[in-house]
Amino acid sequence: MTFDWTVVTSNAHLLWQGFLITLYYTVTTIVAGLLIGLVIGLIQLSPFRPLVWLGRLYVEFFRNIPLLVIVLWTYYALPIFLGVNITKGWAGFLALSFYVGSFYAEILRAGVQSIDPGQTDASTALGMSYGQRMRRIILPQAFRRMVPPLAGQSIIQMKNTTLLSMITVPDLLYQGSYISSFTYRPMEIYTAIGLIFVVVLVPLTLLSRKLEKAGMVTK
Amino acid sequence: MHMQDAKEVLKLRDICLRFGKAEVLRGVDLSVKQGEVVVIIGGSGSGKTSLLRCINLLNVPSSGSIVIDGETLFDLDRSGADKAGLKPAQVNRIRAQTGMVFQQFNLFPHMTALQNVMEAPVTVKRQNRQEVEKRARDLLAQMGLDQHVDKRPAQLSGGQQQRVAIARALAMDPKVMLFDEPTSALDPELVGEVLKAMVALARSGMTMMVVTHELGFALEIADRVIFIDQGLIAADGPPEQVLLHPEHPRLKQFVGRFHETADLLRPFLEGKTAAATH
Ligand SMILES: Nc1ncnc2c1ncn2[C@@H]1O[C@H](COP(=O)(O)OP(=O)(O)OP(=O)(O)O)[C@@H](O)[C@H]1O
Ligand SMILES: [Mg+2]
Repeated sequence: MTFDWTVVTSNAHLLWQGFLITLYYTVTTIVAGLLIGLVIGLIQLSPFRPLVWLGRLYVEFFRNIPLLVIVLWTYYALPIFLGVNITKGWAGFLALSFYVGSFYAEILRAGVQSIDPGQTDASTALGMSYGQRMRRIILPQAFRRMVPPLAGQSIIQMKNTTLLSMITVPDLLYQGSYISSFTYRPMEIYTAIGLIFVVVLVPLTLLSRKLEKAGMVTK
Repeated sequence: MHMQDAKEVLKLRDICLRFGKAEVLRGVDLSVKQGEVVVIIGGSGSGKTSLLRCINLLNVPSSGSIVIDGETLFDLDRSGADKAGLKPAQVNRIRAQTGMVFQQFNLFPHMTALQNVMEAPVTVKRQNRQEVEKRARDLLAQMGLDQHVDKRPAQLSGGQQQRVAIARALAMDPKVMLFDEPTSALDPELVGEVLKAMVALARSGMTMMVVTHELGFALEIADRVIFIDQGLIAADGPPEQVLLHPEHPRLKQFVGRFHETADLLRPFLEGKTAAATH
């Protein structure tokens, strides 16, 4: 069989619209997910047992349920439980943010716990409070170690936004299936979409490698 | 020494510490006067580190009381009644009146030597940054580190790192300095520079508690040597008495080992000095 790339070029505007939607959800859910991850991660590191359990519960819940189920459930079931209307955009945003937030929380927790307890000893002995220790001593060191896993999870997040197409959010993948439905050339369309992801994500991967190396130098 | 009339800087009463079922400290009473240098010795696992860490509540005793310069930091009787009832902020403030130097230095690796020393006065005491920096540079110079203020810990030798750590603790103007085996992690040729700094500090009148295996240092500079055995103070007296004329059987054994190694080394050391003078 031969590839007919004209179906891609002639529908480039649709792919472009989809690409912007994909980018939009990638960025917004990563930002929201980082905030969620920070809160849940710190909760899990707190000295209060019940809070720790609450954090664990959150993380295990969102980490162990397939994202597709979370997306579909948020869109179809949540509005019924809460008795409110949620647009597909909001449902997708919430599902993706809560999901990635649980992974970020784990990265934060592991990053903080990987710091030598001697750092806590030294800062405590100097009279620093819990908040001062975290802000000045522990988190700055932990963040450096967290850059590679955070970058990795964020790259996965961009790919995960393709599940939005299942609730008809017009992302890149949704546009792809739409174009295929009238051109009957899914091979070319999906190959192009795959390439778009590669072109965006490979440079980001390289950038995170660079950051990782820079972090090692300052350690 | 005229320690009789000096005031008490530190007073520990009936300190007990448990880790789970293990009783690590079993009722330690100790008071340290202003300017006194107390060296703590004892076998591995006897509770030396635990005792030092109790003084600034890095380990929270199961009972006992701790008074630093007249202020009660901790007071819990054996029935568990908390008689001090301090808030965390108060604990942090009193705890900052002790300075601690660790075996593994524990410098902050993301900060330069200067930033390490400035961190606590700026963040905890909210002192003026310019004044703190001036003081920090003085302290680092005092430790012989003028050349290294802008280096990070990873760029410094162990001996230099430990001297930065001493300066960092001194920057908070502590009433008492606690040293936990400050030279044990150092290469032998670096031990001297850290001991020298500590001797100078002791001579300047700083109150110090030092856990160390450097018995020569203890003989040279200690006002008192304390021998800890199985979580209790088993001997407490002037260094000559405790180290050279031990009475307690386990202390005899403990000190004897050091004397043996010293005796074994003596011919070599003397041969070396003899060779060096030729
Ligand atoms: N965090 C902890 N949890 C449980 N047990 C501990 C803990 N810290 C110390 N211990 C135990 O308490 C006892 C005393 O330990 P400590 O570190 O005070 O001894 P030490 O006299 O400093 O010994 P060393 O000369 O080896 O440093 C040891 O038996 C040790 O195993
Ligand atoms: Mg020890």
